[in-house]
Amino acid sequence: MKFLTHFKKTITALTFLATATLINAKPLKIAYSDWPGWVAWEIAIKKGWFKEEGVEVEFLWFDYVASMDAYAAGKVDAVCMTNGDALVTGATGKPSVGIIINDYSNGNDMIVAAPGIKSMKELKGKSVGVEEGFVCHLLLLKALEDNGMKADDVKIVNTPTDKTAEVLKSGAVQAIGAWQPNSGNALKAVDGSTAVYTSADAPGIIYDLLSVDAQSLATRKADWAKVVKVWYRVVDYLENEDNIDEALKILAARVDVSPEEYEPFFKGTKILTLDEALMKWKKTDGLESVYGSTKFVDGFNVKFEVYEKPLAIKNYLDPSLTEALKK
Amino acid sequence: MSENIEKSKKPKEPWFVIGKKLNKRRSALLTCFSFLLPFLLWCLVSYTPFIWHPDVKLDLGGEFGSTVYTAGDHVSKDYLPDLVQVTQEENSKILEDRTTGNISGSKRSNLKKLRLLSPLLVKNNILSEDQYDDDQEIYMAWGKVANEPSLLKIRPLSEGNLTIVQNGWNILSKYSPTYDKANFPSQPLLKLLPQGVRANPIFLPAPHEVIQTGIRDWKAEPPEGKPSMSNRFTTSILTVLYGFLAAAAIAIPLGIIGGTYDFFAKILEPFWDFFRYMPAPAFGTLLVAILGVHQQPKVALIFIGTFPHLLLMLTKTVRIVDLPLLEAAQTLGAKGPTLLGRVVVPASLPNIYNDLRIALGWAWTWLVISELIGVKAGLTEVIDTQGVRRNFDRVYPVIILIGIVGFLTDQFLAYLKTKLFPWQTQEN
Repeated sequence: MKFLTHFKKTITALTFLATATLINAKPLKIAYSDWPGWVAWEIAIKKGWFKEEGVEVEFLWFDYVASMDAYAAGKVDAVCMTNGDALVTGATGKPSVGIIINDYSNGNDMIVAAPGIKSMKELKGKSVGVEEGFVCHLLLLKALEDNGMKADDVKIVNTPTDKTAEVLKSGAVQAIGAWQPNSGNALKAVDGSTAVYTSADAPGIIYDLLSVDAQSLATRKADWAKVVKVWYRVVDYLENEDNIDEALKILAARVDVSPEEYEPFFKGTKILTLDEALMKWKKTDGLESVYGSTKFVDGFNVKFEVYEKPLAIKNYLDPSLTEALKK
Repeated sequence: MSENIEKSKKPKEPWFVIGKKLNKRRSALLTCFSFLLPFLLWCLVSYTPFIWHPDVKLDLGGEFGSTVYTAGDHVSKDYLPDLVQVTQEENSKILEDRTTGNISGSKRSNLKKLRLLSPLLVKNNILSEDQYDDDQEIYMAWGKVANEPSLLKIRPLSEGNLTIVQNGWNILSKYSPTYDKANFPSQPLLKLLPQGVRANPIFLPAPHEVIQTGIRDWKAEPPEGKPSMSNRFTTSILTVLYGFLAAAAIAIPLGIIGGTYDFFAKILEPFWDFFRYMPAPAFGTLLVAILGVHQQPKVALIFIGTFPHLLLMLTKTVRIVDLPLLEAAQTLGAKGPTLLGRVVVPASLPNIYNDLRIALGWAWTWLVISELIGVKAGLTEVIDTQGVRRNFDRVYPVIILIGIVGFLTDQFLAYLKTKLFPWQTQEN
């Protein structure tokens, strides 16, 4: 019976490809991927906190870029992405509104170079594997700039982030850009490779957010407020050191590494408490503000022709739901 | 009696004769060997220590900067001394600090140092698998090993590490004989040095590892919310089947009329001939945009990869129906639908069956690519995520499983053909 229905579905789908439309299902659909700050949602999922707060959500696990594709295609209501990639996705696919700052990257995003290469400068004229137009590309450009180099001093090889370890191992490139756990895989895959530049060298350049479809945010604001509330339960839970072994087990299981391998990821991801997040939501120009950082990235993206014109940043950020939790 | 003697005296058939088939027994024997040989070669490379063992498979790992090595990870044998040296330097710093009294550390980092020994304890059957992360048991085991190193029979500790364990237990035992969170030292313990055994490159795990891991993964209770291996297996098989059946259901009628009437052939063939050159995976993101992220786009991709080829094969198959058969039927007065239904279809049925069998094989080859689009699913998710994590001992069982299912299905269908179309088989 199940077979028949599936079969029919497929046939219908194939025959009426053009007329297929998106049906707005009831639970909020959120796409997430392997960044440690987002894997933390797993704690709320496993502990049933969404149900406790009375909001139905469905978390869908993707590769990072695939998650943004799914968002741009309208298959999910929200996606976990960096502030920079929210702009890229907005300029090339579909705009979004960031309502939670989960964390900022504090070392987990890395440029990992092959053995023997100990600094960015030594990469001059070499090939670097990064996913073009996305967060580690930005990190690479910033790394080049900080080292007084030009964008065309290295040759970019477009590489899916989850394949960077293999590509570095193959010797096809001399460095890769990736975040944990992928950067860690690369470091392990190639004996003697080192991180020559990390997000800790440019704190505040990468903020990680929950970015929501504007229409969904407008029509279901109360539900999204509950999601924000659940997030800060997760943050409180992680703040308590007694929970760390349990938390590590949950998080490590999601990305298929062992808890002891997972623990260092926390160091490279600064998960923000409510108070810290509120500081980051303040509108200032520096990288210590999500506004300043986003503006900086916007300028970067235009300069390096990721997209053409600067974007209206204020449309991409909405601190109101976080601010509503302020006691 | 005499008959037996006669038989044994019969001159032996030679094994190598040009253009002659071997008898059944010999064929069967050689079939076994064709599977056994690669397997034996694999065993040879895996179990002969001097053949291609450039790596060390770690029993004890550790944290080195941003890299964490855990038990089972490989490092090249030339790199291991570097890691050992780094750890030794850390340890001599700790010893130096102890003499100067400049002691600062954390309980948690000490606990992590204790846990490092855990995989080795499991390997030596001092801890059971589920005691792997039991801090109480690990703590006690440190005591046992420090006092009786001979307990480690299967994988003994290196000299250096034994000293480190004994040094650690000296400190620990002063605090408490059992693990007590409140009464646990925060002054830094010495860190175990990485150690392991020589191994093939990581992409070539030994046969027993592959078999053990395969069985373990198959039986394992998946973490909540994730499908078990058997669920994944079913998902993958259904994905292939739906894609194949959808392709067959549309291609068979179109193929038959296309092969019979030139009108339909001219309308169908040119376009699908063109379409089949567009690689199915190129439609991946498009299918996700149209059909969502779950099973539908995967089935659709298999359909796209299978349908055009199948259709073209079928029109050709139907077209080459024996001309004398057609002429004979026409002489007898058959025409139109009767000719189609009574002559063309029955005559080409065995070949249509064959075409479908080949198409099912194609559908299988698209499986892995199709399951990567949208939300990764089925067996492919295991291949992809474990492959990226370099756990190849978990990848091989899945690949082999897919191979076995495909092979057995094909053998079964070949057997079924001899039952369904006995006349065809005899002709061949």
